[in-house]
Amino acid sequence: MTFKSSILGLAVVALSTMTAQADEGLSLEGKRIGVAVVGTQHFWDREAFNGATSTVEKLGGEVVPVDGGRDNQVHADNHDVLLTSGVDAVISILGDGAVEPKFEALKSAGIPVFTVDHPSPHAVNNTTSDNYYMGTTIGRYMADAIGGEGKVAVFNAFENALRICGIRTGLWKYVLQDYPGIEIIQPELAEEFANAPEDARKQTLDLLSQYPEGTIDAIHVGCWDQPAIGVVQALEETGRTDIIVTALDGGPDTLEIMAEDGSPFVANVAQQPNLIGSTAAMNVARHFAGETLLPQTYVDVVPVNGAEEAKAAYSSLGYGSLE
Amino acid sequence: MSNRLLHLDQVTKSFPGVLALDKASLDIRSGEVHGLVGENGAGKSTIIKVLAGVYVPDGGRLTIGGRVIDPITPESVHAAGVRFIHQELHLVPHFTVTESVFMGQEVRGRFGLDTGGMRRRAEAFLRDVLAVSIPGNRLIRDLGTAERKLVQIARALIDEAAKVVVFDEPTAPLASEECATLMHAIARLKDRGISILYVSHYLNEITDICDRVTVFRNGRSVSVFDDIEDSTGQDLIAAMVGRELEDLYPENRRTPQASLLELENYSGTGFRNVSFRLRAGEILGIAGLIGSGREELIDTIYGLRRSTSGTLRLRSRQLRMRAPKDAIDAGIVLVPRDRRHDGLVLPMTVSENVTLATLDAISRFGLENRRRARQQTEEQISALDIRPSDPEKVVRLLSGGNQQKVVLGRWLLKNADVYLLDEPTVGVDVGARSEIYALVDRLAKDGSGVIVSSSDPGELIGICDRIAVMMRGEIVSVLDASDLSLDHLISVTTGAEPTEAAHG
Amino acid sequence: MAEHGSPGRLSRLVDTAPLLIFALLLAYIAFEAHNFFSLLSFKLILNQSLPVVIICMGLAFVVMAGGDDVVSGGIDLSIPATAVLCAGIIAQWLATNGSLPVAVALAAGAALLVGAINALLVTRIGMTPLLTTLSMFVAVVGVNNVVTSSRRINVSDPVILWLRDGQIAGVPVGIPIVALIALSFYHLAHRTRIGLNMQAVGGSRDAAETSGLDVKKLQSASFILAATTGFIASFFVLARGSGSSPGVENNLMLEMVLATFLGAAFSGRRVVTLWGAVLGAVLVAAISIGFKSMGVNVFWTGLIKGSLILAVVAFGALAQRGRR
Repeated sequence: MTFKSSILGLAVVALSTMTAQADEGLSLEGKRIGVAVVGTQHFWDREAFNGATSTVEKLGGEVVPVDGGRDNQVHADNHDVLLTSGVDAVISILGDGAVEPKFEALKSAGIPVFTVDHPSPHAVNNTTSDNYYMGTTIGRYMADAIGGEGKVAVFNAFENALRICGIRTGLWKYVLQDYPGIEIIQPELAEEFANAPEDARKQTLDLLSQYPEGTIDAIHVGCWDQPAIGVVQALEETGRTDIIVTALDGGPDTLEIMAEDGSPFVANVAQQPNLIGSTAAMNVARHFAGETLLPQTYVDVVPVNGAEEAKAAYSSLGYGSLE
Repeated sequence: MSNRLLHLDQVTKSFPGVLALDKASLDIRSGEVHGLVGENGAGKSTIIKVLAGVYVPDGGRLTIGGRVIDPITPESVHAAGVRFIHQELHLVPHFTVTESVFMGQEVRGRFGLDTGGMRRRAEAFLRDVLAVSIPGNRLIRDLGTAERKLVQIARALIDEAAKVVVFDEPTAPLASEECATLMHAIARLKDRGISILYVSHYLNEITDICDRVTVFRNGRSVSVFDDIEDSTGQDLIAAMVGRELEDLYPENRRTPQASLLELENYSGTGFRNVSFRLRAGEILGIAGLIGSGREELIDTIYGLRRSTSGTLRLRSRQLRMRAPKDAIDAGIVLVPRDRRHDGLVLPMTVSENVTLATLDAISRFGLENRRRARQQTEEQISALDIRPSDPEKVVRLLSGGNQQKVVLGRWLLKNADVYLLDEPTVGVDVGARSEIYALVDRLAKDGSGVIVSSSDPGELIGICDRIAVMMRGEIVSVLDASDLSLDHLISVTTGAEPTEAAHG
Repeated sequence: MAEHGSPGRLSRLVDTAPLLIFALLLAYIAFEAHNFFSLLSFKLILNQSLPVVIICMGLAFVVMAGGDDVVSGGIDLSIPATAVLCAGIIAQWLATNGSLPVAVALAAGAALLVGAINALLVTRIGMTPLLTTLSMFVAVVGVNNVVTSSRRINVSDPVILWLRDGQIAGVPVGIPIVALIALSFYHLAHRTRIGLNMQAVGGSRDAAETSGLDVKKLQSASFILAATTGFIASFFVLARGSGSSPGVENNLMLEMVLATFLGAAFSGRRVVTLWGAVLGAVLVAAISIGFKSMGVNVFWTGLIKGSLILAVVAFGALAQRGRR
């Protein structure tokens, strides 16, 4: 297993270097590129932002960065600022439905929009992880981890608000249809966006007091990994070892938790946010070079099953060593 | 008494344990300025509060313009044309003059408020009635105290329905040159036929502007001077005092030694050019009315306020007090006037309070030595006769006198060079007072210098060696207490007797 | 005299420093940033500041009626939560195919309830406004989480979309609407008895009481007014976000408090005023937008904005100290 995922990780890194080399002729010289990110507190967002901005600069473009401070309305408003300051293109990272009218306005002003993890009819292209693969893989890993039956609680605040979350959670549920012994606890939980780990910790503590030892088998976070940090904390505080945790995104903080001995956090699918941001910037350059882009660009993901694979993914994704 | 306008007849008011008014009467004729004088606690403020409808009297009645006012409420009195100019200004600093004058009685216009009209009326009133010109758009905080006082008067009188205006210590916050403006305004009001009840400790003002004067003593109206022209301040004082010195004071006098604390042309907010010398073993009194600068002087010596010029020397060493810590380090301590706020931590025990200031001395490695603290407190409790004599009693539950003794006890442990006592016996019963006096005497005999600031002239004469009298921020006289009469001290303090320039 | 001589050159400088700092900074931004001084960005600044402008006015009323001591004086931190709750109620009601008028009525009722509870706790029970309204903020956000299940709800009601996209003579409709609201609030605060009396209560409780004003009633009215501004702001919150998003209240609260107290530094009387609050809100928006269009590193903007506001408020405090 370890060997397999290391090879996979190496392959991913190799692939990305190759694409960068193949596109060496690209340039953003003389262009002002707005980069709007919903927030920079979380690893994923920050890495995608850094990937996008550093690549724009590497290609000779000027970056106009705006940060929503984890407030979706501020993030949406920031697009108006970019529109007014007259940038040549906008890379928009994440965001909820509030940004759609802003994309429309940018588009009608002749400014192309490139999104990250936010499919939109008004965007030229959306760079994203293979969310279909993420959703089905985490569904299979979780089902395997609880032996194909049991009760599962899910944090699922964004299934209806964000398309990528709809895909991830929807396909997770799709896989579970083939496991009639698995039951999703109703109502589903909704985590807070701004203070996710702490909020998830409190909600998990409440959940655990409702479901005593042996009546709940897994807690899954449907669209990302930050709440899982709080879930694991709550499990440790209450000493509950009967529950496994699964989530998506696989940032270094959650990979570290997975790599601990006896961690309840058993499965994850890691994304490559820096590469995603960087790819979005390359797409902008491709667009200006006259290439026709497909509506979606998929960046590979790294499935992580168990502690050993977590350690391997941690080093192959360039986060350091966990030995 | 045909033209009697307002008559308070045989008013009685008692509070638990105190008979504040004992069949006191007051009558005011139309168009006169009527003075009301008396020592602290004579019942002046009680009868004002009865007249204002704040206190409900136990007996007596109020007649205004021949009509009996019953019940006496703030509304009924207001309707009868009585207005009050309180001692406190009660103005909003960031309001304009117009807004202040019309506060609570704004005039509506076609769209909202008639701002222009109100401003014209306010300015006209100030100009025509009070003889000052203050623009209606000036902010209160940009005005001097006298002008603020006039704005306060304008607010009370702008509805032109006033028949009687009660002035409660109006000049207390004013500097002497500002008083003239106010006196002038009051004379103008009188010219317009408005009656004035003028309450003041400043007897020179009373004799200057009043037509008739009522003197209160111990809750009774003891005499009425119908023709003040024929009377002097001395006559008023004789009527106000009417008692001998109480025998509460320690007998023997002390022998002052070397000079300890010297002030030279010491000035700060509220006082200026103060010079005096306090010697070891001496008790120096400071007398003065409200607003004389006594409180400010004491606070400044202790570092609660900054001095603006002049020098302070302790044992010939010049010092600058930036904070109370500087004063304490130099050996100067204060027993503050507002014990409940400044001097005591009310929810803590007697023991904790007494040792608060000396924790350094009795703690080792930052740990309080509880056994020593308790031992020290027990010594203090027996020395001061604090009752009940339980070191673990919470201070809030003690009587005023015993609270004061706890504060004194705390500072006694410090063995300071100079003790500043601000109103040491306010709210203290007679028995506890004589114990406090004995204690102060002992402090001086042990070689400390003591400054006692007090509004009780008897107390000052009883315990001090010398008394500095302050008036409107300056020392006007320094008197030897040994052969000083009560009347003389009061007449100097109240300005009934002109004094020569200050000397130290 | 209690006054010390006429104000010197230094104190006049201190007096005008806050305005000067902002003027210089805006000039610098205009010079550096692309397109910043255009009519377009002016409209953008106004349009983005609308929700904050409205709730700032609410806070200004409470501060005027309660005094400007941040700890013991008047303050209402719950206004942004009220705005977000009203937005949540309207969005949720519309999402379940309810009609807008009913949604609006429900939201108005909720806002008034919040205001009334604040008023009751502060004036009748005697709790400090800071503590009361901070707790209220938390409670109201909690209610909103229940109402919306902490989810984002899209709104496509034509009225809300009109507020978002509508224009009158090229100006976004929100701007003239909020201008009208601001004018009527100004009239209420400065041209009516109740407004002046509220200010009197905040300026000096004793003065107000001796003038025979009903202090409790006036302070209660200020809390009700504040909640009303929360209700009004909810429409612009909905328009801005094309729906209700959870978590919006935190940023709103921060900006509201900053803008309102910043506004005091601009006012001639050095107190919180309606105009000061409005100006503060617009200037804070202008500076943030300016930084964004200049391309300032996002990791630095928070620090720069924070220090700027501290500097302005400190100058305000200095100026006030000089006057005492």
